[in-house]
Parts: sequence; C-alpha cells; structure tokens
Amino acid sequence: MSEQIREQVSAFLDGELPNTETELLLKRLTRDGELRESFGRYALIGEALRGAGSQILTRGFASRVNHAIDGEPVQAAGHAHPARSSRWWRPLAGVTVAAGVATVAIVALQQRAIAPGVTGAAPVTTQNVVASTATAPNQLPAQGGGGPREALSYTVPATSADAPSAIEPARLTNYVFAHSKYSSGLGQRGVLADLLIEDDEPQLMPVQRVAQPSTTPDTRVAP
Amino acid sequence: MTRPLQSRIYWLVPCALVGALLSSVPPARAADEPREWLEKMNKALATRNYDGTFFHISGGRVETMRIVHRVRSGRVTERLQSLDGSGREFVRANDELTCYLPDQHTVLVEPRQDRGPFLGSLPQFDSSVSDFYRIEALPEAHILGRAARVIAVNPKDQFRFGYRLWLDEKTAMPLKTQLCDSRGAVLEQIFFARLEMPDNIPDSDLAPTVHTDGMRWVRQGPAVDNASAALAAYRASQLPPGFRLTVQGAQTLGDASAPASHLVYSDGLATVSVFVEEQRSSDSGVATAPDSPTPPPMQGLARVGSGYAFSTVVQGHQVTAVGEVPAQTVEFIAHSVKISSGGEIPRH
Repeated sequence: MSEQIREQVSAFLDGELPNTETELLLKRLTRDGELRESFGRYALIGEALRGAGSQILTRGFASRVNHAIDGEPVQAAGHAHPARSSRWWRPLAGVTVAAGVATVAIVALQQRAIAPGVTGAAPVTTQNVVASTATAPNQLPAQGGGGPREALSYTVPATSADAPSAIEPARLTNYVFAHSKYSSGLGQRGVLADLLIEDDEPQLMPVQRVAQPSTTPDTRVAP
Repeated sequence: MTRPLQSRIYWLVPCALVGALLSSVPPARAADEPREWLEKMNKALATRNYDGTFFHISGGRVETMRIVHRVRSGRVTERLQSLDGSGREFVRANDELTCYLPDQHTVLVEPRQDRGPFLGSLPQFDSSVSDFYRIEALPEAHILGRAARVIAVNPKDQFRFGYRLWLDEKTAMPLKTQLCDSRGAVLEQIFFARLEMPDNIPDSDLAPTVHTDGMRWVRQGPAVDNASAALAAYRASQLPPGFRLTVQGAQTLGDASAPASHLVYSDGLATVSVFVEEQRSSDSGVATAPDSPTPPPMQGLARVGSGYAFSTVVQGHQVTAVGEVPAQTVEFIAHSVKISSGGEIPRH
C-alpha cells in the first residue's frame, strides 16, 4: 500500500477524508483485493487500539494504527484472517462439497475458527478451539449437565465422512433464510450481508460427534 | 438532499434556545432523545429513497456492497449487491426475496412479506427493552464530512449484542454502524463511503445485473403460521432473561419432505429462531417414504454472520437455534427445548 493510499484509508477511518477522495478510494477498494485486506486490518486494529469502551475517533489515531501495523505485520495478518491463515482448516480444503444449495451454504455461511465471545481480532493458535461459553454452569439448563461440558471441537475427525455431521451446510442456509424474515433488528443486515459474501475456500462446519448416532445409513442425496 | 437555507436558519433559533435551556430539560426528556433518533433512523431507512455504497467489515475482512432502496406509491423495492467479485445480489420486490448467486449458479427465492429494509432497523424501545439494553447518546462526530449523532445501545448482560450508530444529523441515515458484544468489542461494522438520497430512482438501478441462464432456481416453501396443538408441543422450557415466544409456525425448509416447527423468541431487539424437526430414522418409529431423505443427526455450533447457530438432538428431534446473539444464547435456548409426548410436526 502506498503512503498516499495509506493516508487516505486512515483519513477515511477517521471520518476526515473529503467526499471526492472517498469516491476514489472506494473505486480502488472495489478493484483491489489486497487493498481491501489492508483496509480490513486498519479497521480491525483500529477498533482494538481504541479499546472496547472508546467509541469516538480521535486525531492522531491513524498514526497509531500505522505504527501497530508496521510493528506487528505478522500478527496483523493473522488477525485479519484467522480462518484462512490458521492451519486448522487446511485439511478441509480438498473436501468435495455437494453441489447446489449445499455449496451455496458453504460459501454463504462463513465458518470461522473463532471461539464464541471472541472477536475476529483473536488469533487462532491451536487446532482445537474450545467453543466454551462464558455462561456459568448454573445458568445452563439441566440438559447441559450443570457441570463441565464437553468442549466443541472445530477440527474434523478423520472419520467425518461417515460420522453424524455437525450443522449441515444446506440445512443451515435454509435455517438462516427462514430466520432472517423474523430478524427485525439490524442483525438482519448482518445475516444478509454475510450471505452475499463470497468465501475463498470451502469450509466445513465445526464437528462434534452426536451422543446418539443414527443407526440408519445416511442415504440422503445431495440436493 | 440539501435542506433549504431558510429551513436551516429556521432551525437555528429553536436549537439555540434548546442549548440555552439545556440545564432545565427534564432528565426523562434528555433520555428520550437517543430513542427519538433511532425512530428517525427507522423511518428514514424504511421510507426514503437511497442509493449508497458501504463497506461491511467483519473479522478484519472487508466487502464492498451497494444498496438501492426505493419507495414508490407505498411499494418498496430494494437491491443489495456485492461489488467485490462474487456478483451476488439480493432483490426484494413484490413480496419476494430473490438471491442471485451467480458464482454458485443458483437463485434462491423466498416469499418475503415483511417490510423491513435490508439495512435493518431497530424496534421501538419500550420499557421491556430498556430492562436489558441501555441506550445513550455519545459525543457527536463527523462521518463522510457530515455531522453525525452517535447513539449506543448497550446490552446489560452477555446474552445479547449491542449497537453503536452514527446517524446523519440531517437525514438520520446510519452512516456507520457497529455490532458489539457485551464488553463493547466490535464484532462487525458498516461504513458508508457514498450515500445519495435521490427523489427518483430508475427501475434500471433496481434490476439485477445477473444473467440467470442455466442457473438452478430453489424456491423456499412458504411459512405456515398457525397455532395447532401439535405445534404447541414444542417449547423452550428456560430462556435467557427477557426472551419470550413471539411467533410460532411451521415452514418447509428448502426441499425437505416435511415442514419444521419454527419458534421465534425475542427480547424486543434480538431474535432467535428455533427449528424443531423430527428425526426420521428407522429406529424412531416414524414411517418415512422409501425415497425420503434421512437427514443425519447434527450437533454443533456454527458462526452465522454476526451471530451463531447451534444444533442438538432432543428426544429424537433435531433442534436448531439461530440468531444474531452470542453463542451461549443459542446454546441455552436449544438445550432447553422440550418436546411433549405425542408432539408431532404437522405434515402437509
């Protein structure tokens, strides 16, 4: 990223870029995937630097972002794309995905190696990401066991092709579409926006074996 | 759209008076002001014409999208388009939502009679919502060279997300929005880079640019809203504070052979859908057609946009909760679903 564009991005995030230059930046961003990635890192690191409780942009903020990016290039890249840069998903890249809606779901519903409650800024450093909840045991229903619960695994077992699956992509897409109708809040925007986004690599859902596996062979035909 | 100078001057007088009398404004009135701005935003999103380009930033990933929203003679037509290469577009018109996914050679169509804009809106904040969210005005800022009101909607516990909104002082349009968790960490945000509000938007700006030749069309089954005894057999026995059942019905999802029971729980702002489907395996005692697909049992947590989905098996039924809420909320609700004896998902 050239210094000029970097300054433009910084100014935009600071709300100080003139409209004419914003138009130019927009055109560049639409064309340039690498620039979009840099922009995403700026935005992500920027929010982290501002801190959770700080909402207002401040002058001089951009220089702190620059410093953060320049000083921690490796970490920044990891932060920007935890799912794509971490190793956990790589064995899945060659998985053949059923055609049709299933494929749509795979790309539409981005599965990221992010533990719940953790923002995308969190690096994924282990193969087994514990999807533990922050909820105290006594807040969970009885079925949850009330005690330590089995950690959900984001890795796919070698036998995953024959095992009871996690949330099946095609069905998940259908659930999301049906749900978005009732999602009256701004959350609907997020759901729909995510369905618009193209994903670079097919990614399977996090998988956990079901306690009561089906005795019926999976005869389902991919749509 | 520029407000006439005379109109701006007209407003300067009361604004100055308000400033001078600020100390005498009753606290309740001051507290209502952010709510009024959110209502202005809702109205602008639903009733104004707009054509804008925005960045959707989630997890450090940026997507550029264009939104076109037109209201003409009470009819709303919208188009949301990805500008970053996938070519995907959503068009809502004539009570149908059509999702063009050219990269997957697929078009998804769903009846969509709701009037909510693609960009979303926030419900009115009544007292019940205020029990679980704290709304406040933050210092004003500038976005896109425009003065903006900044409103924060903060969740009071960890079962829901919050929002921060930068609303255009003149139009109340959200120039920037952030989705935040209960600690205030930003999960997702939208920056408008361009936003126009023309009086007229031509049909051509709302027509999909996708060529659908050879694409597969998938039509989602219509929702069947009823309150039959069978549907009443499914309920979440426990809910996070503030959530209550708001909608129940059944819907055939995709090309499934039987409808799923669909329950919607809301705290007034966040919504969670719960889908209950009978596991039709050979040992369940449920007759299935020979060619009926037998979906495998599912269990797990998945990230869905800015929210989560969690699926589990309860008493021989597949229970899936989906919502723009933290993971623990969908898990909590899915785990608490109980199926009364004799409960059966109605079939068409």
